Amino acid sequence: MFKNYFLVAVRTLRRNLAYTTLNVVGLALGITCSLLLFLVIRHELSYDTFHGKADRIYRINVDKISAHGPENNAGTPFPMLALLKASLPELTPATHLFNEEGGTFMVLSLNDKEAPRKFREEKNVLFVEPEFFDLFDFPTDGVNGKQALKDLNTVLLTQTIADKYFPGENPVGRVLRMNNQVNLKVTGVIPDAPENTDLPYQMLVDYESSRKINTFANDSWNSTYSNQQIYFALSPGANLKQAEDRLNEVAAKYRPRSPGEQERYTFQPLTQVHFDERYGNFKGRTISKTTLWAMALIGMFLVLVASINFVNLATAQALRRAKEVGMRKVLGASKPQLMTQFLLETGMITLTALSLSVVLTELLLPPLSNLLELQLAFSILHDPLLLLFLVVLLVAVTFFAGFYPALVISGFQPISALKSKTATARAAGLSLRRTLVVLQFTVCQVLIICTIIVHNQMEYFRSASLGFDKEAIVNIPLPAGKAKDLMVLRPQLEAHPAIKATSFAIAPPSANIDMNTSFRYDEFSVERNFSVNMKMADEHYLKTFNIPLLAGRMYEKSDTMREFLVNETFLRQVGETNPQAAVGKDLVINGNQNQGKIVGVVKDFHLTSLRDKIQPVVMSTFTDIYLFLNVKLEQKNTKAALTHLQNVYQSAYPDDVFHYEFFDDSIARFYEGEQRQAYLFKVFSVIAILIGCLGLYGLVAFMVAQRTKEVGVRKVLGASSASIVGLFCKDFAQLVLIAFVIAGPISYYFMEQWLQDFTYRINIGYWVFLAACVLTLIIALTTVSVQALRAAFSNPVKALKTE
Amino acid sequence: MLKTINLQKKYTTDEVETTALANVNLHVRQGEFLAIMGPSGCGKSTLLNIIGLLDNPSGGEFYFLDQEISRHSERQRANLRKEHLGFVFQSFNLIDELTVYENVELPLIYLKVGATERKQRVEQALEQMQIAHRRNHFPQQLSGGQQQRVAIARAVVSKPKLLLADEPTGNLDSAHGQEVMQLLSSLNEQGTTIIMVTHSPSDADYAHRVVNLFDGQVISENVKELAIL
Ligand SMILES: Nc1ncnc2c1ncn2[C@@H]1O[C@H](COP(=O)(O)OP(=O)(O)OP(=O)(O)O)[C@@H](O)[C@H]1O
Ligand SMILES: [Mg+2]
Repeated sequence: MFKNYFLVAVRTLRRNLAYTTLNVVGLALGITCSLLLFLVIRHELSYDTFHGKADRIYRINVDKISAHGPENNAGTPFPMLALLKASLPELTPATHLFNEEGGTFMVLSLNDKEAPRKFREEKNVLFVEPEFFDLFDFPTDGVNGKQALKDLNTVLLTQTIADKYFPGENPVGRVLRMNNQVNLKVTGVIPDAPENTDLPYQMLVDYESSRKINTFANDSWNSTYSNQQIYFALSPGANLKQAEDRLNEVAAKYRPRSPGEQERYTFQPLTQVHFDERYGNFKGRTISKTTLWAMALIGMFLVLVASINFVNLATAQALRRAKEVGMRKVLGASKPQLMTQFLLETGMITLTALSLSVVLTELLLPPLSNLLELQLAFSILHDPLLLLFLVVLLVAVTFFAGFYPALVISGFQPISALKSKTATARAAGLSLRRTLVVLQFTVCQVLIICTIIVHNQMEYFRSASLGFDKEAIVNIPLPAGKAKDLMVLRPQLEAHPAIKATSFAIAPPSANIDMNTSFRYDEFSVERNFSVNMKMADEHYLKTFNIPLLAGRMYEKSDTMREFLVNETFLRQVGETNPQAAVGKDLVINGNQNQGKIVGVVKDFHLTSLRDKIQPVVMSTFTDIYLFLNVKLEQKNTKAALTHLQNVYQSAYPDDVFHYEFFDDSIARFYEGEQRQAYLFKVFSVIAILIGCLGLYGLVAFMVAQRTKEVGVRKVLGASSASIVGLFCKDFAQLVLIAFVIAGPISYYFMEQWLQDFTYRINIGYWVFLAACVLTLIIALTTVSVQALRAAFSNPVKALKTE
Repeated sequence: MLKTINLQKKYTTDEVETTALANVNLHVRQGEFLAIMGPSGCGKSTLLNIIGLLDNPSGGEFYFLDQEISRHSERQRANLRKEHLGFVFQSFNLIDELTVYENVELPLIYLKVGATERKQRVEQALEQMQIAHRRNHFPQQLSGGQQQRVAIARAVVSKPKLLLADEPTGNLDSAHGQEVMQLLSSLNEQGTTIIMVTHSPSDADYAHRVVNLFDGQVISENVKELAIL
């Protein structure tokens, strides 16, 4: 029996090669995309799941409700860990993690003859306590990490770094000098950190050493630093909520809150760190669950669209099978037997498509991995989950695509199937086919609309005014605490004609470096219940970045905090409406440590990405903390200017590595994640539309064939070719419009949701919908016309003869 | 073998009611060769389809092998059909994707006949219809007469008690038509009951008895055999 089904299937598929190809290609495209998306989603879901204690590891965050909305921060006050260890035994093991975004490393040579080798790292150098190894299960390849980092000034290198710094040598026992500040002894080499962790590291350094590297290190309960975090494991059996309450209770002694101030330490599960963009992580990349759902949905959409093609083509094709089905029924075939036969046929097509997609996936994975900067693995044979996914896909697609056609075909009445074929096939799901085409158009339009909106938001990110200049500015990181060495060379720096301005500062206006502190304004006795963002910069900052002053003047040159600038948001927060009124007021920040007068008010500028609201800002001078030299260049001659900068830099810091980044590039990196998502959206929308077109093409070809006679008669009666094409187009134009009525509101709703994540966002214009509708119309009608033209230009006499 | 009492068939489409059969009383004995004649649209095919269990009557009684089956379900009819009935159509209705051999084999597959017996019976049927040399051809590669012989082979391979033929020679030229009629005739001699619809008086000559239908009613019967006997 199955042999017979198989033979018929193979021969039928071969005979209707065009139909088979359309189906296989469409399905293969859809399946490939869903397979790729599956791999991406699975990778994203795997972050930090490999730790044995993954389900009871938490990070301590700080949640604040302040006058300008909720503030979420993953940084913790420095003394907190000691408190944890002293009075909260249920939170063990616990470790500080301090993340330094790279630095300079000097490999000290064994003898004094060789010059030391110098390297610069851009990414995660992680300072950890020995408990790190109790808490997490990173691969150590047998190295006892706890032992290796128990002493001060020790470092574990990853294999990559070891190979880079010590090619052909044994690194163990050698000494690295970091940032020209501390000497670190290499105590071992461990494998590279896995890709799927939010605690990435190029090397692990003992935590105590971070105190010398970290310019912000202090012992105050009042300040936090986002690169200084605490992770712990909750003891089995302990109650999370109670533990959290207890921590807040105990900590209250050290961090008294003013009345009305709402601040709370909260525990965030490690497994959520990758998905909660409010707190961020050391990897610098989160992906929301919503985005993952969107990806899954797109994957399903693509398979759906391809399956719809299948249903459409198969039911249309039913005509050709009517005689066979009729005869089989006459011979006593039962309905289940016929259904089995047709499902088997669908299964074969699906299997072919599936095999093709496996090959395609293999080919497309490397470029996709590159694009997303992920290491995605695809090895079917060693991957039970993937195999399962494939099997599920095979069964689901076969069933989804094959069930309805099988039902229709096996339901034919034998006599009518044998007698009047056309009538039977016409009846075979014409209205369903129209419904499915509408569904397909709907999916395509939703994708087009979403793509346009996502694209526009990205463009907005790129072009929105940030409140400062970002063009032709380079940021040069300085060795910590040594800004002064270069500051004295400022005349020399600015001697080059292509250099328009220079400013030393803790960071450029928009940066990932964030320092928050509490403050006291004017004669208020209590600290206000919001913290301010400190921007430490020299007196040339506003000029360099072209940030306008609203009132007062720029502060004077100074090495310590003497005078302050505040921004508009700050004024709003303290209830001051007139900028002029703030000038001359007193300001006390950092507990009682620093005190001075406000001398000016700056216009608001963006401190981080456009995702976040502008915070209240206090600006002042503080030479010791400056980490960047910012240089405004002439548009031309930048090359020469950079060489000049390097020379001056090296004369100030002979032992450090010169490095620079263009400001607009680093700002673009804020949106890398979104850019990639936008790109993915675009690619997948195009593929969805392509698949839809394939199906449409096949369907129209079929309809045209069916109406050959009608077309012939019309032509004999004098219809023009154009009117014949119009005949077919009218039908589909209608379907596109119906689909638009559905797609418009759906995509509007979802995109509004998505845009809500951004504080600074575009508004959805009606033209987006218009564009999507027109675009679908054009695509659909072009597809239809290609086929319809063939019918229109056919010889009517021939057409009439064939029937 | 079969008997109909006041058999009726009405079609209702778009609120127009067509009476295809009105009170048809017919009795067919085992071994008979019956021809049904009448003008186009008088209900011949309808009657044959009901007898062939492809359709249910709208009224009256229908006994087949002593069972009243006018109310049988599709599944029950399908089972009776594959065991006892063979069909030959004017337009052959061979499955294009199957070879001659596979077409003839198909009924046996649905009857779940074992592979060896199947082979033997298919070969035998092909021999009998003198088409064995074309066993690996596809229907499109055969002439009309050859196709009809394949169709007859397929109809008889399951050794049905009753063979139903709806204008079996309608699409054939007279030479090929004669050939087909002779095959049917010899099948009848070997014991198969045959009911055949035809427009051709010369084809009807092969039958023992001719029933004339007009507007869904039997208007006359002439029994040749009786005259001879
Ligand atoms: N499925 C159907 N729906 C509606 N009416 C039908 C249907 N099948 C047949 N009829 C009508 O029933 C009557 C008998 O049709 P039938 O096919 O039995 O005629 P026939 O004698 O076989 O004609 P022909 O010699 O042309 O084959 C006709 O009037 C026909 O229009
Ligand atoms: Mg007829």
